Amino acid sequence: MAVFMQSLLSGILIGGVYALIGIGLTLIFGVMRVINFAHGDILMVGMYLTYIAFTWLGIDPFVSVLVTFPLMFLFGGFLQKVFINRVLKAVAQNQILLTIGLGLIMSNTVMLIFTSDYKLISTSYSSSTLKVGGGVSLSTPLLVSFLITATITAALYWFLLKTDTGQAIRATAQDREAATLMGINVKRMSIIAFGLGSALAGTAGALIAPTYYIFPQVGSVFTLKAFVITVLGGMGSVVGAMLGGILIGVTESLSAVYISSGWKDVVVFVLFLLVLLFKPSGLMGKSRT
Amino acid sequence: MRKHLLALGAILALSPCLLAQKIGVINSMSGPEAPIGENITNGIKLAEEDLIKKGIHVQLVWEDDTGKPQVSMSAMEKLATRDNVVGVVGPYTSACSNAVARLAEKYKVPLLIPAAAKEEITRQGFKYVFRMNAPADKYASSLIDAATSLGKPRTIAFIYENTDFGTSTSKTAKDYVAKKGIQVVADVAYPKGSADYRSTLAQIKSKSPDLVFMVSYVADAILLMRQSREVGLQPQAFLGAGAGFTTAEFANERAVSEHVISCTQWTEDVNWPGAKEFGKRYKARFGKEPSYHAACAYASMLIMAETAKASGGDRARTRDALKAGKWNGVMGEVQFADYDGFNNQNNHQMLVEQIISGNYETILPSRFATKKPVYPFPRWK
Repeated sequence: MAVFMQSLLSGILIGGVYALIGIGLTLIFGVMRVINFAHGDILMVGMYLTYIAFTWLGIDPFVSVLVTFPLMFLFGGFLQKVFINRVLKAVAQNQILLTIGLGLIMSNTVMLIFTSDYKLISTSYSSSTLKVGGGVSLSTPLLVSFLITATITAALYWFLLKTDTGQAIRATAQDREAATLMGINVKRMSIIAFGLGSALAGTAGALIAPTYYIFPQVGSVFTLKAFVITVLGGMGSVVGAMLGGILIGVTESLSAVYISSGWKDVVVFVLFLLVLLFKPSGLMGKSRT
Repeated sequence: MRKHLLALGAILALSPCLLAQKIGVINSMSGPEAPIGENITNGIKLAEEDLIKKGIHVQLVWEDDTGKPQVSMSAMEKLATRDNVVGVVGPYTSACSNAVARLAEKYKVPLLIPAAAKEEITRQGFKYVFRMNAPADKYASSLIDAATSLGKPRTIAFIYENTDFGTSTSKTAKDYVAKKGIQVVADVAYPKGSADYRSTLAQIKSKSPDLVFMVSYVADAILLMRQSREVGLQPQAFLGAGAGFTTAEFANERAVSEHVISCTQWTEDVNWPGAKEFGKRYKARFGKEPSYHAACAYASMLIMAETAKASGGDRARTRDALKAGKWNGVMGEVQFADYDGFNNQNNHQMLVEQIISGNYETILPSRFATKKPVYPFPRWK
């Protein structure tokens, strides 16, 4: 029982961070209908920002989110303004090629600067735990990142539902042409959406950094996860991405224990296929063309 | 053809008898193995200086195999047929060494492999292939012997990355514990680069093994130990078989690496003649700590060059002299013997280390020990 609880809880905690990555991707897709293959690399940039803040300036990784979030927002907005906005009307393949290319440029630039060595952030709490009782213990940094994730998600939800800009973003996501006719500056909404998506990915990077290791190609691990999460939850659905993230986290964790560590990815993908088979638009997705 | 080549080689090698002997070096100087290749290069450079001091002039022919077996093989062909070297020191990786060993036998060129772990290399009955370092089975056996001599472990859990390196090292370990009557309670191969090993470790914890045997590179080694601490995995000893567990980066993670037991081929603390001086010289010259590869390469080059010189640059005589010889230096006593199915294998003494106060300290065998071992593993704070 302790093993089950332990893996369930750590699955939920790690799933929270996965959710953050998925939400960023789903936001970008929802607004622009662009599949962002550079998402993992943007996360990687966030990790390196955290690393720089920690080793050069001595800023705690969790505090550095305050710096990483706005910086990554600007970075994402820049990418959207300079590159992605130009291909919004192009065929999907070209959009994909562009984002893959951007991702490659990011990971290789980072490799030039930092080399391909693994970097680790070691904080005083990197391996500290919180005993919950019943032989179950939770990783403190993971718990903190889960709480930060929850806060950010709640804030994002509020932003999308209640503010004018948030409503404009949702309007753009629902129907680009109609939104334009209503006087919404669609291009600006796209920039904000991509900025937000990048900021979320960068934040996820910052949150993972204290418990994981950092290297230039780390993005590919998370790009794939982000896709599974987003498609599983329903492309464009924020709630779906949250559900998807936690579902993937728990599935990985439990299958590593009850089936085999080496097979956990297989279990995740089988689950993924099953969901698509019975609900092709994803858990929370509304099918639309 | 072979005879012709041999004759040609002998003539070419004998004619400039007064000139320096040619010795080939194959090493991974670029590519993914370059960081370790650098240690080997530096070790050989120090050996070259010492040879000159001793009045032994050799001409080294350097070849970079970029860590790829096929490049390594063409380098060997070139050294054997065009450069007519007396002998070759190298290559580094197991894959390259295994490929080159065949060619060394074909061209009858004495090959001294300084630091490749795969057991099969010296198990194929080759006459011209020699190896300085202890092969992979010694890693497992020396670690498990250390644990059984320190305590009475009855159960063991294995966790290793699901690559060639991980599975082969743990396979020999599993065979060995079976002989020792230790029960395997968990056997987990994990995919490299997962963010979360907690559930796997929690499962291992539920079996409460006496020993935890891990095979990983450095990043995963630190991650595994961090998460072991998180879930409160508390065995009598953590055994780290090579790679990630013997790096300075790992030792620096004091909170999780303290008291982990690992093993190595060489350290500068060991009282083998010249080991300490070698470490000091290396640091002064290159500004870095030498790894065991550096010492292996240094000793290999000294032995190869001296033997080649004494044999007048004749390949067959060099081979016989290597086989018959006995040396004592930075790697301790070296002798290329036939035992347990190995040929021309130096039965090297592995050193078992434990991280104590953030430093690697030799704990076994006791005649080389620098610190008393801490056993069982203290409770996590």
